[in-house]
Amino acid sequence: MSESELIKKAQSGDKKSLAELVKKYENTVYNFAFKICRDPEKAENTMQETFLSMVKSLKQFDGKSKLSTWLYRIVMNHCLMELRKKKYKFVSLDDDENENTAETVIPDWSSLPSDIVENIELRKILDKAISKLTPDYRAVFILRDVNGLSTEETGKITGLSVPAVKSRLHRARSFLRNELSRTLEK
Amino acid sequence: MKIEKINCNDVMDHICESLGEELDSQRCVEIKKHLNDCPNCQKYFTSVEKTIEFYKKYNIKMTEECHKRLMKKLGLED
Ligand SMILES: [Zn+2]
Repeated sequence: MSESELIKKAQSGDKKSLAELVKKYENTVYNFAFKICRDPEKAENTMQETFLSMVKSLKQFDGKSKLSTWLYRIVMNHCLMELRKKKYKFVSLDDDENENTAETVIPDWSSLPSDIVENIELRKILDKAISKLTPDYRAVFILRDVNGLSTEETGKITGLSVPAVKSRLHRARSFLRNELSRTLEK
Repeated sequence: MKIEKINCNDVMDHICESLGEELDSQRCVEIKKHLNDCPNCQKYFTSVEKTIEFYKKYNIKMTEECHKRLMKKLGLED
């Protein structure tokens, strides 16, 4: 059954189709929520809230955008709300000049093994670095670079224009790269 | 038209943008040319790619319990 057929059936109250839709997207939603909030418990909570919203407002879903885009946006809004409550102090990159100053000699990263991701220490470093980014920078980096969405779709989900997505992506990448280089090149 | 010479700083500024983006503008052609002959910029490029790769490979697995709690919350248990 195609996705739009599933959605139509779910909209008319078919629980089996609704469960199918949830199963199809639960992993995507869970991982995106985790990548934004960097906490498994909060990710689960966000995922539950996201699907509760989906169930509640599925009737209003008009199919003009992709269901995944719609879900990403709910996750995004929920995480933003949570992060605002915390009044966490983020690094502002909006008018940054300092991040792109070229270092004189750049160490070689090509020998760093990729399976280093299984390494708990590295995971901590990755969490710490990305947690310094404001949620909009974080979301742009994750949607565009990590999940491979288009610039346009990333803009739709975050409510940013295409040029704003591009400049945030650029700054987020070099910020993260520089944060990691401080730790990994030691 | 004068073609500016590209230096490492320009490359640092634009390398990120060009990752996964179109590389056919005059400026990007110059950057590519520079990148071919500049080990320092190549290393920077690799490090940005590696950064992205690390985050790409960092996924968490949803447990069966987590799935069950979700379905229960939604009233969709089998
Ligand atoms: Zn160079």
